Amino acid sequence: MRVHKLFRKTRFSFFALFGVIVLSVSFLSIRTVSRELNEEYVSNSRSIAKNIADSSVDILLNRNLATLQSLIDQFVEIESIRYIYITSDTGEFLAHTFVPGIPDEILAGDPSSTETVERSLPGMGDFIEVGSPILSGVAGNVHVGMDKELLGIKIQRAVGQQMYLFGIILVIGTLLSFWFVSFSSKPLADLMSFAVRVAGDGKVSGEEDVLGRDDEVGELARLFTHVADGSTEGDGGR
Amino acid sequence: MEHTKTDPAGGNPSPPTVPNPPAITRRSLIGSGLAALVAAPWAKSLGAVHGLGAGGSGGGLTGAGPGGRPAAPYVRRGLPQEDEIVLGVSAAFSGPSRGLGTELYRGSMAYFNEVNENGGVNGRRIVMKLLDDGYQPDPCVANTIELMQDERVFLLFNYVGTPTVTRALPVLKTFRDQQVFLFFPFTGAEPQREPPYDEFAFNLRASYRQETAGLVDNFVNIGRRRVAVFYQNDAYGRSGWAGVREALARHGETIAGEATYTRGTQYSASMRDQVEILLDRSPDAVICIGAYQACGAFARDAVDLGLHIPVANVSFVGSENMLQLLQEGRADPNSHTRWLVNSQVVPSYADTSLPAVQEYGELMERYDPPPPDDVERITPNEPYETFPQSFVSLEGFVNAKLITEIIRRMGDNPQRSGIEEAVLNVRNYDLGVGERVSYGPNRRQGLQSVYYTVVDGDRFVPLTDWEASFGMP
Repeated sequence: MRVHKLFRKTRFSFFALFGVIVLSVSFLSIRTVSRELNEEYVSNSRSIAKNIADSSVDILLNRNLATLQSLIDQFVEIESIRYIYITSDTGEFLAHTFVPGIPDEILAGDPSSTETVERSLPGMGDFIEVGSPILSGVAGNVHVGMDKELLGIKIQRAVGQQMYLFGIILVIGTLLSFWFVSFSSKPLADLMSFAVRVAGDGKVSGEEDVLGRDDEVGELARLFTHVADGSTEGDGGR
Repeated sequence: MEHTKTDPAGGNPSPPTVPNPPAITRRSLIGSGLAALVAAPWAKSLGAVHGLGAGGSGGGLTGAGPGGRPAAPYVRRGLPQEDEIVLGVSAAFSGPSRGLGTELYRGSMAYFNEVNENGGVNGRRIVMKLLDDGYQPDPCVANTIELMQDERVFLLFNYVGTPTVTRALPVLKTFRDQQVFLFFPFTGAEPQREPPYDEFAFNLRASYRQETAGLVDNFVNIGRRRVAVFYQNDAYGRSGWAGVREALARHGETIAGEATYTRGTQYSASMRDQVEILLDRSPDAVICIGAYQACGAFARDAVDLGLHIPVANVSFVGSENMLQLLQEGRADPNSHTRWLVNSQVVPSYADTSLPAVQEYGELMERYDPPPPDDVERITPNEPYETFPQSFVSLEGFVNAKLITEIIRRMGDNPQRSGIEEAVLNVRNYDLGVGERVSYGPNRRQGLQSVYYTVVDGDRFVPLTDWEASFGMP
């Protein structure tokens, strides 16, 4: 039906607009969630590294490396922390959590640097490593490696939940738009059927539903009837 | 039984010798609760489970242990009784290191059985309250709190392991007004020998620092200067690692290479990665700081992968347990033991010229103490096979002998508040191990000797000639 074709464009536009909104919001959301989780992750790591660094001062000065190891063993039980190592001011590894040994990539790094770096360690995965100086670096440095894979999983989970929500909204919105378009186009379809009948044989019943409407569609129907009646009278006078 | 309320630090009349715990604060309650909550899945109260009855007196068990041996008659199964001195023990009675806790306990039991059957100490029997920590720190913390707060033990005794003891020491400091001391832990680590926790513990055995220094010195003396370390990646391993590092530094050397393993690793695990890491560093010798299962696996894989250099272990390893693993089921039982050299902190149990060793042999044979009788429940399908004699049980025996002497010196009405003074008065005491024991305000370790042993047949025997056994080719 022509009327439905007309509304099909509306329906498509509605759907397209809604889709663009969902995609835009999702994209923005992914970026925001990813950035904020990442920042929070690094921030937490820095706090942990600083905490260890602050706690290590006396232990290091007492040269009690067993206690130092015990300290980092407790921190490495935190889910996202995959490794911790503590280096002396000369770069010697004083305590660490690596098994079966310190990776070559770590050994080759600069132990005095406390910059945040991303590392990829063969057999272990990808990590964000943060550092914190002990006693401004004169007693050594603490390095904490956070699991990027776990961070990725957390981001995926957070974004996935949002996408799921948007998906539900999109489906419900689409169904509603179908219903709304169908609901809106029905009076026009009825009017069209009425107009076709009027144009066909000019016979209309006074009990047509469309004539009883008190809106624009009813007025148009009554106008069609009036035009049709005038036309019929004109034909008879001739 | 009831306990007389006493001032924690003061002497109180007989019989209750244990002062009341301090007032429970919200903080201590939360701390204890959290620790107990965390540790609950692991902590297994051996005594509580089996409730060694005997009318609640803690003595006179009539049941039978594994193999038809009489079950341990002096294991604590209820609140302290008037005629008892209760020693609290948290140790590994389950898991991959259970052989250490079990043998240490058996050695002590052999001596306590003899003491108790001869009237006890000043009329009091010595009993042990056993809690299993599986060689894990958190359960050990929970156990320590339980032993001090609930069981009201007279002192803590025979703890096993560095990661466990290291975490228990702050508990002793927290409840310092109760004056509970830790006696003779089965670890040579430094935390209980140095401030801030040295004042809460008394050690008998030599330290890992002494053991590793001796091993390094002997290796360097025979030209093996490139020494690598294979260690358990925790406080224990780090303690030994630090000892090796310090000893090598005195010779102008550094650690040639290092490889680690995770605590609790079983003998069945592969140590190929660790051996390959060390092979790359071409060491002249390896010092292992670990427990018998992992160190046995390393010694096995080292031989299999061609790392044919001396592999040394410190006393904690549990020499007999490791030897059993390495020899079991092999056509040539000594195929994987040629390169082993283990340091010990007690003399060889074969050296019967020493009075304490002779007494140990006699009492171990007479009593043959069974393992705590629910070890098999803890580790189903893996019954523990005891050793007639071992370095670990000899250490337990010597520990028991000295603690008995200390309690004896405290008289008829021993008080916690008098423990430290009694220990500090031990000077030049002949324990019968070839070295006299002394304590003092700055001397919290009784024995200093380290012994070196190698495998000969099915046992470790004293190493007499380093050059002949391990000299450079």
